[in-house]
Amino acid sequence: MTFVRLVVFGFIALSVIYLSISVYSRSVRKEWLENEFDENPPEGADDAMRDDYIAKGMTEYNNSIRPKLIGLVYVVPIVVMSIIIFVINTN
Amino acid sequence: MRKIKITLRVLALLIVGTVLHYALPQHDIVRVVNTYQERQDLNDWTSIFWARPDDQSATLINRDVQFIQTVKKKTMLLGFIPRDTTEVMVYRNEDTGWSWPFYFKFDTANLQTEADDLVSTSEAPKWAVMTHYGWRNEYISAFPNAIAIRPVDGPNVTIIPWFNIVFFIGLAALLLFIRAMWRQFRQRSVDPLLDAAGDQLDEVQAGVAERKGRFSRWLGTWRKKDNSRLPPE
Repeated sequence: MTFVRLVVFGFIALSVIYLSISVYSRSVRKEWLENEFDENPPEGADDAMRDDYIAKGMTEYNNSIRPKLIGLVYVVPIVVMSIIIFVINTN
Repeated sequence: MRKIKITLRVLALLIVGTVLHYALPQHDIVRVVNTYQERQDLNDWTSIFWARPDDQSATLINRDVQFIQTVKKKTMLLGFIPRDTTEVMVYRNEDTGWSWPFYFKFDTANLQTEADDLVSTSEAPKWAVMTHYGWRNEYISAFPNAIAIRPVDGPNVTIIPWFNIVFFIGLAALLLFIRAMWRQFRQRSVDPLLDAAGDQLDEVQAGVAERKGRFSRWLGTWRKKDNSRLPPE
């Protein structure tokens, strides 16, 4: 029963962390794209072109491996837990 | 206001420090004297200093607990400075299972056997390093929980707390990451909102001012003409 409790609450906590890191990572990427566009705007740049550039950059980001790496949030604690269990319970 | 802020911060730091001091592993250099098992009544608040029983015994208010009696080298400053004197220390030996604090210890019986194997006299001492967490308090019968024991050559070994080093580096990294996340969130989400709200407030205030201006002008038409405001003739 305590195991079930640990799994349930651990999953909730890790999901909160996962979501916050996803939002943070997207936000940083978007800011980076905005700055890149503003630093070197092409000839006759307007808001529509800027939005287009950012949208394209975000699609690229979504298709890259980076957002998938955030899934490690679920993997690392399980690995650490397994290591602790192994180290503590072997003599 | 500043004083309240400082007080709250110190209080928060104290609470976190206390919890960490209770839950993080510490190492003692000990000589095992004896081990025993004793029935414990665990029906009042001091049960927070004992492991939570598993489901089978969750309804019991007392149960058998294993103990390890030792003579321990005294230390100063959280164990960083060794001293020559010794004191007695009794550890409880309980499974933590899947609950807090997360040691995932299930090998209580094995540990008890290892401790039994290391029993020695003061004439022919066998020294060992005892890893444990928790506090010893005689008045409320609290005992630190033994996690692991390993024999060492003599009482003057240097122990490097690797886990705690990694833990505190990780904690610092985590805090810096949360700070960066918070700053990004504020810069990108909260500040624009506040700006927009500020603009709206300005507009509302301007509207109110204008309406008030119209109203007071209309009121003014009913007032008796104040001659003193007119330029002198």
